[in-house]
Amino acid sequence: MNKYTITCLIIFILLGPFLFPNATITEMLIFGIVAISTNIMLGYTGMLSFGQALFFGTSAYISGLILLAGFPIFLAIPIATLGSFLISLFVGYFCVKREGLYFICLTFAFNQMFYFIAYVWTEVTGGEDGLVGITRPEFIDTQFSFYVFISILFLTSLYLMYKIITSPLGLIFKLIRENPSRAEAIGYNVRFFKLVSFSIASTFTGLAGSLYVLIHSMVPIDQIHWLKSGDIIFMTLFGGVGNFLGPLIGVVGYIWLSDTFSIIWARWPLIMGVIFAIIVLYFRGGVSELLENLVKKCQFYFKKNKDEKYIKN
Amino acid sequence: MKNILKINNLSKNFGNVSAVNNVNLEVEVGSIHSVIGPNGAGKSTFFNMISGVLPPSSGKVYYKNNDITGFESYKLPHMGIAKCFQITNVFPKLSVRENVWSSVFSCAQKSKFDFFKPLSNFKYVAEETEKIISDVGLSHKINDKAEELSHGQQRMLEMAITLGAKPELLLLDEPTQGLAPEATLEMTKLIQKLSKKYTILLIEHKMHIVMEISKVITVLNFGEVIDEGTPSEVKESKKVQDAYLGRG
Amino acid sequence: MTFLILSQILNGLGLGMLYALVGVGLTLILGVLNIPNFAHGVLYALGAYFAYSIAKMTGSFYFAIFLSPLLVVLVGFLLESQGVRRLYQAHHDYQLLFLFACALIIQEIIIIIWGPIGFSLLPPPSLSGALDLGILIYPKYRLVLICFAFFMIICLYLFLTKTNLGAILRAGIENRDMVKVLGINVNIVFLYTFGLGAYLAGLAGALSAPIMGLTPSMGLDILPICFVVVVIAGLGSIPGAIVAGILIGLSQGAATIWFPEATNVVIYLMMGLTIIFRPQGLFGVR
Repeated sequence: MNKYTITCLIIFILLGPFLFPNATITEMLIFGIVAISTNIMLGYTGMLSFGQALFFGTSAYISGLILLAGFPIFLAIPIATLGSFLISLFVGYFCVKREGLYFICLTFAFNQMFYFIAYVWTEVTGGEDGLVGITRPEFIDTQFSFYVFISILFLTSLYLMYKIITSPLGLIFKLIRENPSRAEAIGYNVRFFKLVSFSIASTFTGLAGSLYVLIHSMVPIDQIHWLKSGDIIFMTLFGGVGNFLGPLIGVVGYIWLSDTFSIIWARWPLIMGVIFAIIVLYFRGGVSELLENLVKKCQFYFKKNKDEKYIKN
Repeated sequence: MKNILKINNLSKNFGNVSAVNNVNLEVEVGSIHSVIGPNGAGKSTFFNMISGVLPPSSGKVYYKNNDITGFESYKLPHMGIAKCFQITNVFPKLSVRENVWSSVFSCAQKSKFDFFKPLSNFKYVAEETEKIISDVGLSHKINDKAEELSHGQQRMLEMAITLGAKPELLLLDEPTQGLAPEATLEMTKLIQKLSKKYTILLIEHKMHIVMEISKVITVLNFGEVIDEGTPSEVKESKKVQDAYLGRG
Repeated sequence: MTFLILSQILNGLGLGMLYALVGVGLTLILGVLNIPNFAHGVLYALGAYFAYSIAKMTGSFYFAIFLSPLLVVLVGFLLESQGVRRLYQAHHDYQLLFLFACALIIQEIIIIIWGPIGFSLLPPPSLSGALDLGILIYPKYRLVLICFAFFMIICLYLFLTKTNLGAILRAGIENRDMVKVLGINVNIVFLYTFGLGAYLAGLAGALSAPIMGLTPSMGLDILPICFVVVVIAGLGSIPGAIVAGILIGLSQGAATIWFPEATNVVIYLMMGLTIIFRPQGLFGVR
């Protein structure tokens, strides 16, 4: 992340609440955490998981239940996040044992397992209707204070994740993506580090989930459905898995597009599917790679003009 | 300790097929010990058993008198055994520096918390990385991506990654595979230079290299040891000639 | 009482046969192309919807069951040749994601063409009504379904073991690179395998219509079950998929008798037990 990208990020955070409604911009920040943390697994370590909604949704339920029981939010968030962490160790242990293909099938199957637990356990989760009636704590009851609260947690999460990515651990993740057998041969227990990557991604996703419940004061059951996992992958890929902040662009794009189109056309997921297919076929670097190429072309164009002017003179 | 690596009755069976059968071998410390044999002799299977890729069906592998039979491959570099692959096996999209740095860090990191500290913290790792890269002659490419290197340069990078573990025993699997004569010569010279610091177990196909640099040569055929000795002994051996000419 | 239990077991068996058909289809694609086919669910749904429309247009249920899976095969060929094949050079994760994107697209197209409300498809008069089996009276269609599905599985078995193409498919599951080396056109093999997988999914969908009706979400609902079948069976095991599918169907049938709320949970319980106690699956190789 260079100064240029950090500046853009700061501008986005400052201008966001004026560009989008409060619920939208906070949702963008929350899913921003999800997508960037999912990218630690996907873009950096090379592990495709169809189970992120498991952690997002479970954590949202735990957080919602704790708040409904009357406990403060400063208890709900850590406990829900810790819950995600522990579940990620359990689920991750079984999933990373097998290679990429089976890993995907297992994460998918585990996701649906948890979805059905949520569906059936209506006394706790509200089943199909979701968990409702959660109230926002007083200190974040206004739009402004809520946004500040979410932004602080967003920036803190980003900072922590960035520190991890730029540490030796981040490099080891990249080794696993590039060449797992070689990583093993130079002394890294690949299965262990895959579990670490999985856990980090799942825990931060869980943290985001614990915050999600505050936006609409409810947890709809579709937040734990495997389709949500697919949405998360879409956002991450759409934004660009090649760099740290890329997925955030995907989140903003996806949420803005879905909010805009879902009003116009009930079948808007068709458009999303088409965009997804096009990205997968032709633009695997996502929007951020397109932007990078655009910037490079502009730089080249301006440099050429400068050189020509210099030669003319 | 005279023999850094001792292999006792090592065997590998795939169903009814015996790929490697009761191989005994001892590698003297500080020497270059080569393993040769015609195609299908079981060299690769043998190599994979020692380097943690394949669990042996029976037999034992001792390193410095410690039993390391069946150890997973990620444990070996920490004990001082590093291996070089037959097919170039680098980290394509990472830079030459990152490729070697990760190998050095693997065995050099001192505490669990090291994994979370900033990369710039590790001066000793960076210094060692630059030294190894210059030893293999790739300093001018240190910031290039591994996939941008020529084949010969990638083989050198392969070697540099292997050396990052600061091993005592090097397992080299056909290091000159696919190299042009000039690059082969460079690699051979490098191996000889390395033998002054490390013990080397070499699997090689190119006879002239093996004859030139080895102290001891073990010859395999059909998964069994058919002869062992100095280069001149092996050159004269009728058993070996028979094996290579298909009369074995 | 036994009447109830017996009929539920037969219900479970019928369901299990359908699961076996989709499960084998998914296993073939997984084993030969190495891709979890996320579009498998919508192919199943297309099988049902095509059958519905064909039956409505031609008045012949049998013709619908015959033609519908073949149309699904065409869709499968389209997906494989236009997308999956193009992504072969890219990481195979992208092939999976392409199929997922297509699943979203096809799902919406189904709703656009056939509407958001479900339908029912009645079996033809020759297959309606119930049969008196002595110990119980059981719906004719469900009995025929079980027999027909069983027959198709036998055909599949014969195809895989007695024909050249079948042998190539089985070899491809075992060792894809070897198949390439033997000079066999891998593109054709992949295309036909995907088509066969699509056929099985479409057939299962069409057969399921008279029993389970048609709903727009049927594609999304069946997909997790397909994956659970594959997980329990063991990666790439066709006999495993058949056994696992039937087992899951029977368990659901049993659950309906004793724990009706738990019919879906039962599937995941079995999956959980398999993962913990036999992670390679029932028939998988370690």
